[in-house]
Amino acid sequence: MIKFVILALISMAFMTLDYRKNRLLPVRTGLTKFLIYPVQYTVDLPYRLASFTREFFSDHDELSKANRELRALVGVYAARDQKYHSIARENQRLRSQLSATPAVREKFTLTEILSVSSNPFSKNVVINKGTDDGIFVGQVALAGNNIYGQTESVTPNSAVIMQLTDAKHAIHVRNVRTGQGALAVGTGKINRLELKHVETSMDIQTGDKFVSSGLGQLFPPDFPVAIVDSVAYNPGDSFMKVHATPFTDFSKTREILMIWRADYSSELESTNNMPEQTNGASK
Amino acid sequence: MEEISPRFTGAILLSVVVAFALTILPVNDEWILFRPEWLALTFIHWGLVSPNKSSLVFAWFVGLLIDSLYGTIMGQHALGFTIVLFLTLRMRSRLLMDSFFQQLFLLFLVLGTYLLINLWILGITGNTPEGWGYWYTVFSSLLIWPLYHYYMRLYHAQKKSF
Repeated sequence: MIKFVILALISMAFMTLDYRKNRLLPVRTGLTKFLIYPVQYTVDLPYRLASFTREFFSDHDELSKANRELRALVGVYAARDQKYHSIARENQRLRSQLSATPAVREKFTLTEILSVSSNPFSKNVVINKGTDDGIFVGQVALAGNNIYGQTESVTPNSAVIMQLTDAKHAIHVRNVRTGQGALAVGTGKINRLELKHVETSMDIQTGDKFVSSGLGQLFPPDFPVAIVDSVAYNPGDSFMKVHATPFTDFSKTREILMIWRADYSSELESTNNMPEQTNGASK
Repeated sequence: MEEISPRFTGAILLSVVVAFALTILPVNDEWILFRPEWLALTFIHWGLVSPNKSSLVFAWFVGLLIDSLYGTIMGQHALGFTIVLFLTLRMRSRLLMDSFFQQLFLLFLVLGTYLLINLWILGITGNTPEGWGYWYTVFSSLLIWPLYHYYMRLYHAQKKSF
């Protein structure tokens, strides 16, 4: 009985500390690193082994065919990249003539999802890269061209990525059609977002596309976020109730792009001599 | 129900590790709400069959692990599992544990309390889950219990040698 009371009190003290000050982050990271990550790795092992064997035994012809196609694709991309660079240089020159601030540019690295949150009420995933690869808390994650979420916590070899749909997550977005802003807040449900603070006078309709606004400096601007699928208004409310579907299909994504924002001008100077590196290192 | 001791040293630990693995096993999105509370079931089982070997401190620590895994506030599941084991230990002597329905009744009560306290803490920290989905796990846990309870016998000391 006494033991129970003591443990309950410790739990409550822990909760208060964690909630108010976030003091227990080292404890959390330590437990994840030394006790949870090994179990997670072991549980995931059969899945990875299966995909490894599948690849190992896949037809030689098939592989060489894929290889040829990929080589061709690299050529196409290299040419496209070259063109992009001349445009980027021109853009920089024009910007310096206008004495505008240099635009922000990004570096990418591809990571794999190790496990999906086992807690049904928080939408996050664990990826297979951590501080050793330069991942940091608050880093933006993309899935293809669309925004996926941001880094919540990180250990040396894994990181937790909070999805856009997590109930704790919010991102400022802009309507492509009208340019008006709104806040896209996660609902905790898969592939479902809610747009908050949409005033009744705002021009919004089903099918409107929203992109990140870049406000707050965290997310890069103009990346697709969500498409509106219902707009409702209850008389008496100050705001409309708008539901949206994110462009990222969170149930299907297996790979995530982590991005680093680098200074544009310094980046360009270095690329004048060297070929462009796509597999980013830390900034 | 008489006291049964674990089959070998670390049998309880092993059963908890297995339950932990079941908890983090990736499942389909439609099924995730129906994931039974494997760890709570494990603690209830050991509380019933082997009260002297069940440790509240251990349950508390495993809860802390779940908190860092789920990203929930540190101490939420720690408190939850402590309550689960404590309630089980308290109530086991008041009920006929060999009766299947009394067992289910205890399970329902303990899991209900556990989930309710979790819900309160989630509410206080502002992450209230929407809808009835939160409670589905009670039914899946109750459904899986007889099977799980039977499987857990693997970890018991055997009375007869073959």
